[in-house]
Parts: sequence; C-alpha cells; structure tokens
Amino acid sequence: MTLETLKPYLPWITLFVLAGIVGAANPAFFNPVGLVALVADITPLFIMALGMTFAIYIGGIDLSVQQMANLVTVIATVYLAQFGIGVAFVCVIVGFLFGAISGFITTRLYVPSFVSTLAMGFVALSGAKFLSGERALSMDATLRDQSFGWMFGNTAGVPHELIIAGVLLFIAWFLQKRTTFGRALKAVGSGELAAVASGLNVDRIKILAFAISGMFAAIAGLMFSVKLSGGDANLANGFLLLAIVAVLVGGTPLTGGVGGVVNTVIGTLIVVVIRAGMVYLEIDATQQQMVFGIVLIAAIALTIDRSKLRGVVK
Amino acid sequence: MYELRKVDKKFPGVHALKAVDFKVNRGEIVGLVGENGAGKSTLMKVIYGAYQPDGGTITIDGTAVRFQNPRQAMEHGIGMVFQEQSLITNLTVMENIFLGYEAQFVKFGVIDWKAMAEAARRQLAKVKLDINPATITSELSFAQRQLIELAKVLTLEERIDGDLVILLDEPTSVLAKEEVELLFKLVRELTNRASFIFVSHRMDEVLDLSDRIYVMKDGEVVDVVDHDAAEVDAIQHKMVGRDVDKEYYREQKQQPYGDEVLVSFDTVSAGNRYKDISFDLHRGEVLCLVGTEGSGREAILRTIFGLQTPTSGQVTIKGQPISSFNARASVDLGVGYVPRERKVEGIVAGMNVYENMTLSQMQNYSNAGVLRTGEEKSLARTWIERLAIKTPNENKDCGGLSGGNQQKVVLAKWRSGGSDIILLDHPTRGLDIGAKEDVYEMIRAMCDDGAGIILVADTLEEAIGLSHTILVVKDGEFQKRFDGRPGDKPSLYDLVHHMI
Repeated sequence: MTLETLKPYLPWITLFVLAGIVGAANPAFFNPVGLVALVADITPLFIMALGMTFAIYIGGIDLSVQQMANLVTVIATVYLAQFGIGVAFVCVIVGFLFGAISGFITTRLYVPSFVSTLAMGFVALSGAKFLSGERALSMDATLRDQSFGWMFGNTAGVPHELIIAGVLLFIAWFLQKRTTFGRALKAVGSGELAAVASGLNVDRIKILAFAISGMFAAIAGLMFSVKLSGGDANLANGFLLLAIVAVLVGGTPLTGGVGGVVNTVIGTLIVVVIRAGMVYLEIDATQQQMVFGIVLIAAIALTIDRSKLRGVVK
Repeated sequence: MYELRKVDKKFPGVHALKAVDFKVNRGEIVGLVGENGAGKSTLMKVIYGAYQPDGGTITIDGTAVRFQNPRQAMEHGIGMVFQEQSLITNLTVMENIFLGYEAQFVKFGVIDWKAMAEAARRQLAKVKLDINPATITSELSFAQRQLIELAKVLTLEERIDGDLVILLDEPTSVLAKEEVELLFKLVRELTNRASFIFVSHRMDEVLDLSDRIYVMKDGEVVDVVDHDAAEVDAIQHKMVGRDVDKEYYREQKQQPYGDEVLVSFDTVSAGNRYKDISFDLHRGEVLCLVGTEGSGREAILRTIFGLQTPTSGQVTIKGQPISSFNARASVDLGVGYVPRERKVEGIVAGMNVYENMTLSQMQNYSNAGVLRTGEEKSLARTWIERLAIKTPNENKDCGGLSGGNQQKVVLAKWRSGGSDIILLDHPTRGLDIGAKEDVYEMIRAMCDDGAGIILVADTLEEAIGLSHTILVVKDGEFQKRFDGRPGDKPSLYDLVHHMI
C-alpha cells in the first residue's frame, strides 16, 4: 500500500489515531457529554471552515474569513436593537457581498485570491474598528435572547449549535454534490482550463464560491457574537489558522478539486481532538498556534497535488 | 562509442521502452523513426538525461554512465536540439548560446560582453551563420534559430574531452526545402566533429541523411536498416505494422461538402494575433488551418469558440452576426472545441466519464440547477458503446483513461450535445496509430452527419489527407488557399513554401 492509495483515508486515520492517543492519556476524553460539549463549542469555527472549503475546493483560498467574522460580530451587536432578528439577514448579505468582491477582484483583475482576500480582510477589519469605535461592545441580554435565543440550548440532548451546523452542512453538501454549480466547482478545481474549454462561465463560478465563503464566515461571526453576547474587531482572532487547518487536514488540498465539505467535518474534528490534547498536556495557549502552524504545513505537504503545480512554485 | 543495452522504461500503465538496444558510432548519423507513441521521445529523453532508465545499461566508450539530469548528459557530450525551440526569445543570440555557462566570461564579477561576442562568433561560424551575436533572438527566422540551437550544443566541443552526440528532434518540420538541404549539408560536414541522432517522421529525409536507421514500434526497436538497404515502404510497414496509404486518412470517405455556411469570417482581425482573415466553413467540410506555431491558427479557433474577441471584421455563425464573444454563447450556437492539451484542457482529470460528457451541457441534465445523474449516466453508457470507449464503466476517472479514449470522451461531449461546428486543435497529438485512425473515422462520420470541422492538424500529412480546404496562414496573415479533393491533394512542399 502506497501513500497515494492511502491518501483518501489519511484524514480518518489521523482522526482515530489522535483520538486514541488523547483518549488513552485521558480516558475522560471519551465521556459523551464532554465530547458533545467540545464539538458544540467549535461550531462557529466549523461553519467558517465549511465556507472556506468552497474557496479552497476551486484551488483558491479565502484569508478574509476571520476579519469577516470580526466585522459581523460588530454589525450584529450594533444593529441588533434596530433590526432584531433581521440583523442576521444584514450580516449574511454583507458576508456574501464581501466574498463576491474578493471573487471579482480575483477573476476580473487577475489578483490571486490569497492577496485579494487578504486585502478585503483588512477592509473588513477596518470597517469593524470604525463601527465599534475600537471598543468591545455588548449585546442587550433581553434583545439577544428574544432574537437569537434559539441558537443555543438543547433539544432531546442535542445542542442547537449542532443542529444548525448539521443544516448548514447539508446545504453545503447538497450544493457541492447534487447541483450543476457543485459540478462546475469541481471542474474548476480539478481542471480550470478544461472547464473554460467546455464553455462554463468560470469567472461567475469562482465569484460565487468566494461569496459563499464570505457568507458562511458571516454566519460563523453572527453565532460567535450571540454566544459571547457582544462584538469587537478582534473577537474572532485565532479563527483563520484553525479554519484553514480544518479544511486541509480534512483532505481538501490547496490545489483543489478533491475533498469537499464532508472532509471538512473530519478536519474540524481533528482540530477538536488536537485542541483537547493540548489542553490535557497543558500546552500554553500562546504555544498552541505554533502547533497548528506545524500541523498546517504538514497537511499541505501531504495533500497538495504537485502534478498540478507544473514544477513552478512562487 | 555511445551504446544503450536492454534499456527499459516504465510509466504507470505504459511500458514505454522494452529492452531497447541502440548504438551510435563516431561520426555516424543515426536515424530514429516511429509513430507517435512508439517510444521515440522516451528514448531520446533517456539519451539526453531527462529520464533515468528502469533497467539496462548506458555506456560511452565502454564506460557505464548514469545521468541524473540533462546537464550531466551534456557534460558527457550529449546535446539536444529541441523541436520546440528552447531558446529564450527576448535574450540576445550570444546570451542564448552561453546560457548557464556565462562564468567563463566573467572578469571581476561582471560579464565581458566582447569576449562573449567573440566566442559566440566562433560558434556561429561552425553552423555557417553570419549574424551579429548581439541580435535579439526573436528577430531571427525559425531556420536561423534552429541553427543557433545547434551552435549552442556545439559549444560542448570546447568544454568536454570526449566525443559529441547530438540529438536532432524533428529539425525539418517547419523548414523550406532549400533550408532542409542546407541543414543536411551542414550536418554531414559536422560529422567530423560529432555524431548525430536524427529524429523525424519524414521518411524520405531520414533515408537521405542517415547512415543507419532504427525503427521503433510499441516501445521496441523492430528493425535496424543500413542506408543502402533502406526503402520507404518497407520501413513504414514496420513502423505501422501494415501499409500506409490513402486509406489511412479515410480519403475514400471524403464527400463533397454542402452549401450551407456554418461559420463565416469577413476580414476579421484580432490585434497582433491575426489580420484580415476571411473564409467560409460549410456543412460537411473539413477546413484545415496550416501554419507554424504562433501563426495565428489557435487564435482563430479561440475566436470561434468565443475566447478571443476580434478587434475588427465580422464573424457570423449560422447566419447570426456575433457581437459579444463568450464561450457559453458559442456553445449554445453549436460550437464544440477539442483543445490541443487533452489532459488539461480536453478532459477534467479527477472527474469521471459521465461528469466530463455533460460538462458542456449540464442545463440539459438538470432541473433548476439540480442534476439528474441517472440520465447523465445513461447518456454516458450510450456513447461509451457508440464510440467503443475503453473504460470499465461511466464512473471511472477520465484521468486514468488512455489518450485515445480521453479524446473520444471529449468528442462524445460535443457530439452528444448536438454540436455541429467542431474545432479540432491537434486532435491526434500523442495518440497511437489505432487511436488516430479512430479519430479520422470520427471526423468523416461527423462530416456525414452534417457537421463542419475546423482542424489544426498534428502533421502536414494529416492536414492534407483529411481536409477539403486548406488555408495557409503565416504571422497571422492569410497566405494561400488549397482545395484538396481526394486524389488531387496539394503536396507537402506546396504548403511549406507558403508557411515560412
């Protein structure tokens, strides 16, 4: 068995091996109640990673997601009183538009997505700072519970976050697997030139992929904001690295075309396990990003399809 | 002096070289012939060090050698003159000649350009080229650049001790008859400096120039013929496994084309890509665009497919004047495009057969954007059977199919969607002979179905054999039109004469 044939199973193997190690060191890890809580806790990150999957699946990347979420925490907090639950709609539209602009810059101005989304991320950050006056804002508890109380809590022992995550996962999966759009995404990710030569409107497909990424980042930001009952321009910091790690260790390579949203579920679970392991090993929070940085490099090195790079990496 | 013994090379799914014995003596010109896919290019790559053999030995004057890369091969006196020229066109001639070996001219950390120019002149004299070494390479003709490639390889003489072996890969493919003769004369003279391996698909030229000829088929050397014993027909028979004649290009199936015009160009120009091009493509017609690389052939195809917007002139498709150029609109008018780079533009590797077949027509297999995969699969099964595509089933990744079957998938994609203006860019490139014949059959079949075909052929012979009409373009400008009725086809040199 070679590494190539093993590749599709690597995320699963990684997940089970890591869970086994953490569980062996700390049997309490396998306590179902604790596990569910751990997983529910990471829902905003999962949703962000779900959106990011679309950008990476077409061979791009979206570095604006964290700042997008930051901006949305501020928007949600500032406008909750005015719009009530309608603020969710505002957030989603803002996320979609920001993503679409990144996509437009990438496809029409030929700016690589890692630059266009990085730049748009700074625009979002700046917007968040301006809107919040660089202060940490908090939501009115009553208003919050009125409009978004349903986001948290339990039904038949299942945390609502998980239900929301499940619904979004289904939508993303359906888009990717069952629609012409999803098929087009795969074509663009696997062989963009062939997609062009088949008459697909590749630019529009890419713009939509980035818009979806922005939209999911906005949903993640909204959830996070409701969860912490407030918003500020740095609230979601630390999400970006984890979101990229979740997508890549899940098995969607930077070169795109394979993997997809279900892989991102596995990737996110791997992130959960690594995090839990580090807490158990008492790795200081300041060092955790270092671990994830190393994991990210390893994941890219293992998953990237070098035949698509045609020998040139700049 | 240079010898390969029982050299083997395998790629996933292909046994490219099977125990090949190959030998070049001092001062000898060795011909190497074989169809595309016979293993010629793999053998050459092994010789000049781009590939490492899986088995067998390579010896130079009896000493075993193993090259990790082309540079090591060069240091042992093996140089390659590339068919797709390897010169960097925005550098000067002398910079190209000494690319990677500038150190010899460096004094106090800067390059002594005078010394380099002087040295370059000496190299140019070897190939009898009298030009200023400071000329920018792009200003030279194709033939001149070919000679500079040769001069570049001949610099090895001064750098190494042993003998030189120089590979010439299809050096004559775009040379005029007189230029070919000059090149041959030069190569014969240079045999006192080097041995040559001459690769070409033009049999008469190989016979003319070579002392000995290696014939390859399916990764094996099937025959070695001496110059005096060589006959075109016999060699061709060995190469192909049977006689090659008019049957090959299905000339007997060539029917007169219809009256209806599918595509019309009226003095169309696209920037500096092509200028004032006019033609009509009719139903049932194979129209071939002939010219050298970069002559504007591809740009014309891309315009019809909507990927290259013209700057002036009028393009009409099926009576409809085209004002906005995009691929979707062209596809909707029935245009299908079979690009040259089959593996990266033709099929999507990583997607399976049915996904590839419906990629251009997903709207016909979906409701409100949701795919009807069952229908996609049954379409794929129909076409797998109709074109005899060799695949276990419709769920197989197209990237794992052979080149010929990939090409069938691409053709099925367009034909199943009802496309009747088919643009073929090098449709037989890299295919083995059986697969080529399948493509030729399909071209005739599409014409019988009333499709019009614009072809950029892989070889001139193919262009002549297949087409009703040949348009020769050069530097983006129309040169000459030939009509090719079966039995009354233009000759190779008729075309070449106008190409360069």
